[in-house]
Amino acid sequence: MLAQAFFVAVFGLAAIGFGVAVFRTSSMVRSALALLFSQTAIGAMFLAMQTEFLGVLQIMMMATEMSIMAIFMVMFMMDPGGLGGMDMTHQKRFSLGAGAGAAGVAIAVALLADWGPVTATAPDAGQQTRALGIELLGRSMLIFETAGVTILTAMIAATAVAIPVHKPAPGHNDQETPE
Amino acid sequence: MTPVLILALLTGAVLFGVGVYGALSQTNLVMIMMGVELILAGALVNLVAFWRFLHPEVYAGQMFVLVVMTVMAVEMAVGFGVAIARFRVKGSVEMEEAGDLKG
Amino acid sequence: MSPLALTVLAPLAAAVTIPLLRRGAPGLAVGGAALGLIASVWLLAGVAGGETPALVLPGLPGMPLRLAAEPLTALLAVVVATVGSLVLVYAVGYMRREPGRVRFFALMSLFLAAMQTLVLAGDWVLLLGAWEIIGLCSYLLIGFWFQRPEAATAAGRAFLYTRSADLGLYVAVFLLIATAGSSEIAASLDAGGGTTLAAGLLLLLAAMGKSAQTPLQDWLMRAMAGPTPVSALLHSATLVAAGAILLIRTAPMLPPGALLAVGLVGGVTTVVTGLIALAEGDLKRLLAASTASQYGLMLLAVGAGVPLAALLHLIAHAAIKSALFLGAGTFQHARGDTAFECLRGAGRARPWTFLGFTLAALALAGIPPLSGFFSKDAVIAAALAAPGAAWLAPLALAGTLLTGAYMARALHLLWRGAGEDRPVTGARWMGAGLAGLVAIAVALGAAFGAIGDLLATPVPKGTWAMLLGLAAALGGLALGWLVPVRRLLGPLYRRAQHGLVIAGGLTAWIGRPTMAIARGCERLERGLHTTVLGVGHLALAIARRVRSGDERRIDGLIFTLVAGVRDLGAQARTLQSGLIHRELALSAAGAAALLVVLLAMLLRF
Repeated sequence: MLAQAFFVAVFGLAAIGFGVAVFRTSSMVRSALALLFSQTAIGAMFLAMQTEFLGVLQIMMMATEMSIMAIFMVMFMMDPGGLGGMDMTHQKRFSLGAGAGAAGVAIAVALLADWGPVTATAPDAGQQTRALGIELLGRSMLIFETAGVTILTAMIAATAVAIPVHKPAPGHNDQETPE
Repeated sequence: MTPVLILALLTGAVLFGVGVYGALSQTNLVMIMMGVELILAGALVNLVAFWRFLHPEVYAGQMFVLVVMTVMAVEMAVGFGVAIARFRVKGSVEMEEAGDLKG
Repeated sequence: MSPLALTVLAPLAAAVTIPLLRRGAPGLAVGGAALGLIASVWLLAGVAGGETPALVLPGLPGMPLRLAAEPLTALLAVVVATVGSLVLVYAVGYMRREPGRVRFFALMSLFLAAMQTLVLAGDWVLLLGAWEIIGLCSYLLIGFWFQRPEAATAAGRAFLYTRSADLGLYVAVFLLIATAGSSEIAASLDAGGGTTLAAGLLLLLAAMGKSAQTPLQDWLMRAMAGPTPVSALLHSATLVAAGAILLIRTAPMLPPGALLAVGLVGGVTTVVTGLIALAEGDLKRLLAASTASQYGLMLLAVGAGVPLAALLHLIAHAAIKSALFLGAGTFQHARGDTAFECLRGAGRARPWTFLGFTLAALALAGIPPLSGFFSKDAVIAAALAAPGAAWLAPLALAGTLLTGAYMARALHLLWRGAGEDRPVTGARWMGAGLAGLVAIAVALGAAFGAIGDLLATPVPKGTWAMLLGLAAALGGLALGWLVPVRRLLGPLYRRAQHGLVIAGGLTAWIGRPTMAIARGCERLERGLHTTVLGVGHLALAIARRVRSGDERRIDGLIFTLVAGVRDLGAQARTLQSGLIHRELALSAAGAAALLVVLLAMLLRF
């Protein structure tokens, strides 16, 4: 129990620290990496909380996602290395307030709410995975399928948005008169 | 009352706050997406903590985590699609300059 | 169709047809009058044969309108028709160059119809109606040349004088109907009772107005501003006769007091207007004054209790005075005016007209064997035999004397001197009318006995009366011919020229106070008018204020609402910056607000 608390705390602090680092560095690549580490720390927290399947899933997914994000960073940013020292933020005061407020409210709820009795033991990993599988293909099948279809739609939509338009819109005059 | 649950919830709360700050303060579309990722990550932490310490027998909790991960993936995919399209047109994904949706 | 109705309807039909057709007006008018004359003679023949034709027309509830012919009224109808026809014949020539001929002949025909109705009316209501119509016709005909200010004034004056006096007729008629319980004139004559004195005096007032008796004689002289046929028909033979006719018809019911009043009014009038006539400087005005004087004699006869004498004189006078007027009209056309200065020698230039005029004048003066001699003889005899002979006889004789004097003066002025004469258009028609009337005026005396038989009343006669009347007439003629009028009248001359007004006359005594009252009323009325207008304006102003207030308040409310919504929209529009971070911030704020609400609800429950 104590060990669990220790690991959760350590990985939580790590996640928070890397999360903060995401917005404190000028380099976009570093931000992406920091986010990757933060997400990985969260995955580690899942593992510490005996949610092995989700933890592993989190680490794998986020590793992929964040690597893609890092690539995009390098692609899009005019200053991916943050060498220009240029400020990439705005409405900082409001954002700080909003973030602190949100965190404060959530913390207050976490501390003040009566969470009821806590289950000390958790099912072991294999049982968990099996039960989750049954859940996915049983009671929550509709949700699961919906999520799948949503991802597919998003993939198609993203691709459609991203593909460059070669042809002019129909009805548009192809042979543009030289100006 | 186990401190582990509280610890996890606190972690989620702080992550959420950091994410809100990031999403609001950043000018870059990709950075805003990172903030959103952090918000969702905070939610994930909470969800996992709730499942583990309050209702480990209800696997809908884990199911919920999967759904949120789906949302994260979808968000990433659509966000990058938009970013690419925008970058093609404007050469930048700085949201300061994007007033196209102005009413 | 009975002759009774035809007598009235023939001229009435002409009056209606003339303004509709607007052509052949003279022919229609003369035709209508001639038809009426034939009908009236037929009627008189029927009545003389013992008939009493009557016609009951629907009228007021319980008071049907009646036309009834008695010997007296039938005779008068013949007189009116005869004079009317001859005057219309004359007018065909006289009005030949007149552009308003259609109006003239229509009015004359209407007047004839109304006059016949008045004469033949069997009840008071119809008589009143006819009385009003002849008054209206008189007004319109006097003002025929309404472009001339003096004609318009004269018309208004005549209308006012006669209208004021007509009030007496109205009240008298109401009294008589109330007393007798019937609107029939015959019933009133039989009713008697205490109200007859009052009714008689009121009828006298009405007769004074219509017959131009002193002190209401002024309008008749001024009425000469109208065309001469109008003067001849209306202001000598018919309209003016209405007053005398009224008194002759109602004479049987008048008590001695009323009779005496009638006699005195007539006597005074005959003298006063005789003096005015003597001093007149205008032929037509002289004739008008003489008309008033002669009607004074008739009233005197009525007052003496012998309406037959009045009737005879009325008939004789109708013919004589019409003839005189027609002669005067011829002279007027020849010289362009009727003032004696212009007419000097006019008689010598037109001997035939002058002969007719002289015959008529002598007849009026009462020279035998002309008709005026017999009628005047009857009047003087009646006056001598009357209860108030001491008053009436001298007045009658004075009137006769004055008649002779002013007629002689007129003849003298027409015969002596010389003037520019010019040709007269339509002289043949005018001569025909004049000749007919002069013939009647000369020969009518022979018919008086028959008239007395018809009315079953002996014509009053007496040797003394004849002698005195003849002496007065001859004396008057001699005086008028030989003595200049200035010497004759002495100090009275100047006043007589101005109508013998006493201390300003009616103008000062009645006209000015009336005008003052009228002006006061007008001022009051104007004040009321302005007050009413002011109230109206005030109400309008208040209404306008209220309306503007309403508009400002209600419309203002709506406009404010609209403007507010628009502003809100504009502000909401600024919220939609399109910037992602702004939108995000907004959604964060919204989420925070939702949280607060949720929390508040949690704390509440």
